[in-house]
Amino acid sequence: MNLDWLDAFLIFGAFKVVEIMGLGLLVHLQLGLTRVANFGVVGFWGVGLYAFGVAYLKVDWPFGDLYQFLVCAAIATIVAAAAGLVVGWLISDLDDDGTLVGTLGFATIVVILATTQQGLTGGALGLGGLGFPYDFGRVKTHEFTWLLITTAVVVLIFAYAWRVHRTPHGRLLIAVGANEALARSLGKSATAARLRMMTVTSGAMGLLGAMHGVMVRSLEINSLDVSVTLAALAALILGGTARVFGAVVGVLLTVALFDIVIQFYIPIPDGWNTQALPVAREAVFGAAIVLMLIFRPQGLLGQMRRPALMRRLHGDW
Amino acid sequence: MSVNGLSSGYGSVAVLHEVEFTVGHEIFAVLGANGAGKTTLLTTLAGLLPAFSGSIAYHGTDVTNLSASESARLGVGYVPQEASVFPDLSVLENLTVGGMIGTRPHEERLEEVFETFPDLRTKLDLRAGNLSGGESRMVACGRALMQDPTVLLLDEPTAGLSPLYLELFFEKVAEIHRTRGVSIVLTEQNATQALGIADRVMVLSLGVGSEPMSADAVTTDLLREGYQI
Repeated sequence: MNLDWLDAFLIFGAFKVVEIMGLGLLVHLQLGLTRVANFGVVGFWGVGLYAFGVAYLKVDWPFGDLYQFLVCAAIATIVAAAAGLVVGWLISDLDDDGTLVGTLGFATIVVILATTQQGLTGGALGLGGLGFPYDFGRVKTHEFTWLLITTAVVVLIFAYAWRVHRTPHGRLLIAVGANEALARSLGKSATAARLRMMTVTSGAMGLLGAMHGVMVRSLEINSLDVSVTLAALAALILGGTARVFGAVVGVLLTVALFDIVIQFYIPIPDGWNTQALPVAREAVFGAAIVLMLIFRPQGLLGQMRRPALMRRLHGDW
Repeated sequence: MSVNGLSSGYGSVAVLHEVEFTVGHEIFAVLGANGAGKTTLLTTLAGLLPAFSGSIAYHGTDVTNLSASESARLGVGYVPQEASVFPDLSVLENLTVGGMIGTRPHEERLEEVFETFPDLRTKLDLRAGNLSGGESRMVACGRALMQDPTVLLLDEPTAGLSPLYLELFFEKVAEIHRTRGVSIVLTEQNATQALGIADRVMVLSLGVGSEPMSADAVTTDLLREGYQI
C-alpha cells in the first residue's frame, strides 16, 4: 500500500481522535448513564497500557507476534476490568465528590506505581520494544493499519453503547443513575448493575491503553497524563454526557480540532505546535468544561431521550 | 405484614419509636401531620432505611435486615412521595423497569396497568420527566404494579395533586386493592379522603403510633390529638 501522500503525524493525530472517542464513549456509559463521575480515566487506560507492555516485554511467549498481541491485550483488558471492579466496589457507597476523589486517587496510584516499579515498567525512562502484531514491511503501513483496527474497535464500543441504551440492563443503569434509592426498590441490585458497568467499561479502557502501546511502541510515563482524562471529559461534556453521539461530536470539536485541523491545516508560526498549542489545548478543554457546565450542562446534543428515540423504543414493544 | 416494636431514623436520630401494627388483606392507612414519621416508616418497610430495633415480618418471614431489592423480590412494592419516576426514561420504560422481576409476561402486566390507568396508554413515548404531578404518580403506581406486589407501600400519593386528581387517585387505590388483591399501606395527611377507602387506620404522632383501629372508629378528637391541632 502506497501511503506516501499521508503525513505520519496525521496518522498519529487521527489515532488520538479515535482513541479519545473510544474513551469518551466509555465515560458516557459511566457518567452519562450511571452518573459515576470517573475522573481517573487515565488510570484504567494506563493499567491496560502498562499491563500490556509488561506482559509483552517481560514474558517470553512461545508464539508469534499476532498471538502474543492477542494474549497480552486480553491480559490488559482483564487487569483493567479487575481494577474497575475493585474501584467500583470501593466507591459504591460514596457520593459524587467521594467518587471523583476516589477515581482520581486510583489514577494517581497507577502513575506512582508505573514510576516507581522500575524493574517492571522501566520507571521514568520507560520501556521500548512493543511491536505491531503483523509485518507489512513499511512503518507507515503498519501505523495506518493500526489506526484502522483501532477505529474498528471504537466502532464496536459505539455499537455496544448504542445497544446498552436499548436493553433492560441499560434502563436499569439509567434508573440507578437517576435515583438509586428508587432503583433499589425495583428488585434488582443497583450495586451489581453499577459494578458490572464499571468492570466492562474499565476493561475496554484497558484495551484502548494496550492499543495505544502498540501504536507508540513503548511505555512512557509521560503518556499517563491527566490530559487523557481531560480530553475525554471535555469532549463528552461539550457533546452531551447523556447521548451516545455526545462523545463523537465532542471529540470532533475538541481533539480533532486541535490535533488535526489546527495542527495540519491552519498556518501557525513555527514552534507553536510543540509549545503553545498543547498549553492552549488544555486551557480550551478546561474552559469548555466550565462554560458548558454553566450555560448548557446537558451539552450540545441535549437530553438523553429524544421524542424520536422514545417513539422507536415504543415501536419495539 | 407484621411490624413489631419498630424504631428507625437517620444517623443517630430516632424518628420512629417502637411502632407496632399488622397488615392483612386490607387498605391500612397511616395518618399524621408533617414530620410525624410517615415517610420514615414506609422507607424502613421498603428496606431503604435500616431499622434501629424491632422487626418486620412478611408472610411469616423476618425481612427486617433485607435490602430493598430483596424486599421487592418478596413482593413489596414501593411508591415514594417525591422523585417517584425516572425522568430520563419514557413512560413505557418506567413501567418496564418495574417488570424486571417476576415471571409473568410484560405484555400481560402492562395490559393490567393500562386497565387501571388507561390514560398512560396514550403517553407511553413521553419522557417521564415532562409529565404533570398526577401523571407521574400514575406512572409510579403503574411501575410498582408491574412488580406484581402483594403489598403496596404508597407514601402520600396525593400530596400536591389537584382536587380532580386527588379524588381519582383514591378511587384508583381502592380499585387496585379490590381488583388485584393487593394489600396497601398508605400514608396520608388528607384524613378525610383516606378514611373513605381505608379498612383500618393508625395515627402517627412524632414517631409514635396509635393503636390500629377500624376506619369507622376514628373520631375527630383522636385525629386532633394525633395531628396535635
